[in-house]
Amino acid sequence: MSEVISIALLGQPNAGKSTLFNALTGLHQHVGNWPGKTVEQKEGHFTHDGKFYTVADLPGSYSLSANSDEEVITRNFIASGKADVVCILADSSQLQRSLFMTADYAGITVPCFLVLNMEDVARDQGKKIDASQIEKKLGVPVIFISATEKKDYNDFYEALERAVNEKTVLNASSLEKRLEKIAGFNEIKALIPDDMVPGYSPMWIASKALESDPVVIAEIRNKLPEDSVKKILEYKEAVQGAVETGSAKFDWIDEITEGSETKTKGGFKLSKLDRLYTHRIWGKPAVVLTILLGLLFSFVPAWPLMELGTLVGNIKAPVGSALLNIGCPEFIVMIVCNVVIQSFSFIFQMLGFVFGITLVFGLLEEAGVMARISYVFDNTMGKLGLQGKSVMPFLVSFGCTMGGAAGTRVIDNWGQKVLTIALAWAVPCGATWSVVPMLSTIFFGPGAVLVIVVILLTMILHMWLTAKVFGRGLVKQEDRYGMIMELPPYHKPKWGALFRYVFGRTKDTFFRVTKVVILVCFIFWLLSYNFTPGGTSILYKIGVAIEPVTKLFGLKWQLFMAFVASSIGKEGALGVISALFTGGDFSGAFFDAMSGGGAASNLSEILLANVSKPEALAFIFAITFNMPCIVALAATYQEVHSVKWTARIAVYYTVVALLLSALVYHIGMLIW
Amino acid sequence: MKLGEIGENKSAVVASLNGDSRFIGRITSIGLTPGCKLTVVKNDKNRPILVYSRDTMIALNRKECEGIEVTEAAK
Repeated sequence: MSEVISIALLGQPNAGKSTLFNALTGLHQHVGNWPGKTVEQKEGHFTHDGKFYTVADLPGSYSLSANSDEEVITRNFIASGKADVVCILADSSQLQRSLFMTADYAGITVPCFLVLNMEDVARDQGKKIDASQIEKKLGVPVIFISATEKKDYNDFYEALERAVNEKTVLNASSLEKRLEKIAGFNEIKALIPDDMVPGYSPMWIASKALESDPVVIAEIRNKLPEDSVKKILEYKEAVQGAVETGSAKFDWIDEITEGSETKTKGGFKLSKLDRLYTHRIWGKPAVVLTILLGLLFSFVPAWPLMELGTLVGNIKAPVGSALLNIGCPEFIVMIVCNVVIQSFSFIFQMLGFVFGITLVFGLLEEAGVMARISYVFDNTMGKLGLQGKSVMPFLVSFGCTMGGAAGTRVIDNWGQKVLTIALAWAVPCGATWSVVPMLSTIFFGPGAVLVIVVILLTMILHMWLTAKVFGRGLVKQEDRYGMIMELPPYHKPKWGALFRYVFGRTKDTFFRVTKVVILVCFIFWLLSYNFTPGGTSILYKIGVAIEPVTKLFGLKWQLFMAFVASSIGKEGALGVISALFTGGDFSGAFFDAMSGGGAASNLSEILLANVSKPEALAFIFAITFNMPCIVALAATYQEVHSVKWTARIAVYYTVVALLLSALVYHIGMLIW
Repeated sequence: MKLGEIGENKSAVVASLNGDSRFIGRITSIGLTPGCKLTVVKNDKNRPILVYSRDTMIALNRKECEGIEVTEAAK
């Protein structure tokens, strides 16, 4: 493999970019962030015919204007010369509209080829496209394929090789003729030197200057003499440039596609499913139901891995006693059982969930359902600075926060993704629901219903407040525009590519998350282990020492320890309480509780004898709004790729949970 | 008239676009340029407007629609 060829994928949202990317690269992909930017970077590689190709999946946008970080990154990537060839994608079922990206690319001199994707959808709509005619006019390879059909990839590789070998540059001359009719275009173009920005022709720069493109204007100010700058700005101000160039580009598209497209069916009718989703009254319930069904179905593929996780947890005891029998020192046994085996038990259970959620919600995304969800909840979620899609992770989080975090994968804006996760943490998860109603009933009897209502109201307030706190840094004010997006036609997903993608993400998650979970488990173990026989653990010492402070929050040291334990897993909190109030072995109880068991059968008596009502209320709020669990933390890190933001969210939740407990404790003191 | 005033299942032609260059860029790149024909599919108060244009169903936030002037057209 002597040669490395770099391909960049460029296309509007829903043109099938990710399907193509996944089909090409399979498991060989890496997701991170563009350096210094809040935009996700997807890269992968593949080998074909002995040649090694790298693929960069450029962020999806509708044009190459510098209106967002996504578009600027795309443009800089092309200008950097990192791509040997750009593969432009268009949706054949919406040919003219979707070719806008190609029209916006015209004038860029980096070799390219055009993929008219979604041949299958176009065919269903009675449309046929003669790619060779378009190819003649554009001067670059053009193919009409379906990225979901394996057989079509021969055409793809052939077009790719042709574009690379012949260095085919898009012929923009007839677009240029149209642009020349716009007042000021020729004058501006004459002022732009040929090599102002490598890879971009003066025609392209002049057109963007007319559109008041901020980055191009800044570049012009930077590189051209002052009088040229002044003239260019005058010409640009005299016309509504973006409207003029937009019209010219669509006229050019009509010229390019004329005679190449045949339609046998006409007209448009809202499909039955869309009539339901867009219904004024039934739309929202239909979306919520879709998501809940999705959550339910995700348990089917998740189940085997989750079972494996439980099984791994179950070998802790036998492995522990076996190791002790062969004379292994106790603390090594503890590390093996309580850190390593326990971590893998958590991790496998989590992977099951990640696998199921990624599969089911990836499916909904591919099929086009997610765009409808966005549409229906656009107004509601827009108030929080989020996309309509964010409603999905919120609902999933009632089941499990890590599922919610994994589900944010369908949100294409990094800042909104992080904000969605930050808000989803406030949603009480399944584990909370297994602990809190019981605790509330023990202390408040039928009043438990009221406690739960207050918890739900607090959740809404918490989300609103968190959106305020984190929103400003994550979603810039100028990015908070209303929705302008297409609702793509429904189409069947490519199972092979989808599964490869899901396996890839699960594998990726496994490696990243293992580090976090083992590390955190180990730290907790260190803090809770009695290193000296008959002594006490560090955590115990700290807990007792700071009790005067935690009492302000309404938490006795035992309750505070249980609160700390609940950041690893909420189910464990009750086990820790029973152990501590009955004087049991702290470090043993801590870890037994983690694996789910451990709550004493006479829990309610123990609690009623030791904990007052205000303290109970404080504790209930503290664990409900605490960090969901260690695995949710790891899943958050996996999705946001940022230690800083993961830590910020975790610390924020711990602090807010304690403040809430202090608040309800003091309110409780007034009542009882 | 404004796009938001067009009733469901009525057709219209885009007359002009008004707004900052960012808005114009976004609206033209999704296919709505002057002279372009569209059909309003859904126009419910609390949802984005749904229009069908250039073979595409497009959802437009109500506030963003303020900048789109249209003239009603026969279907």
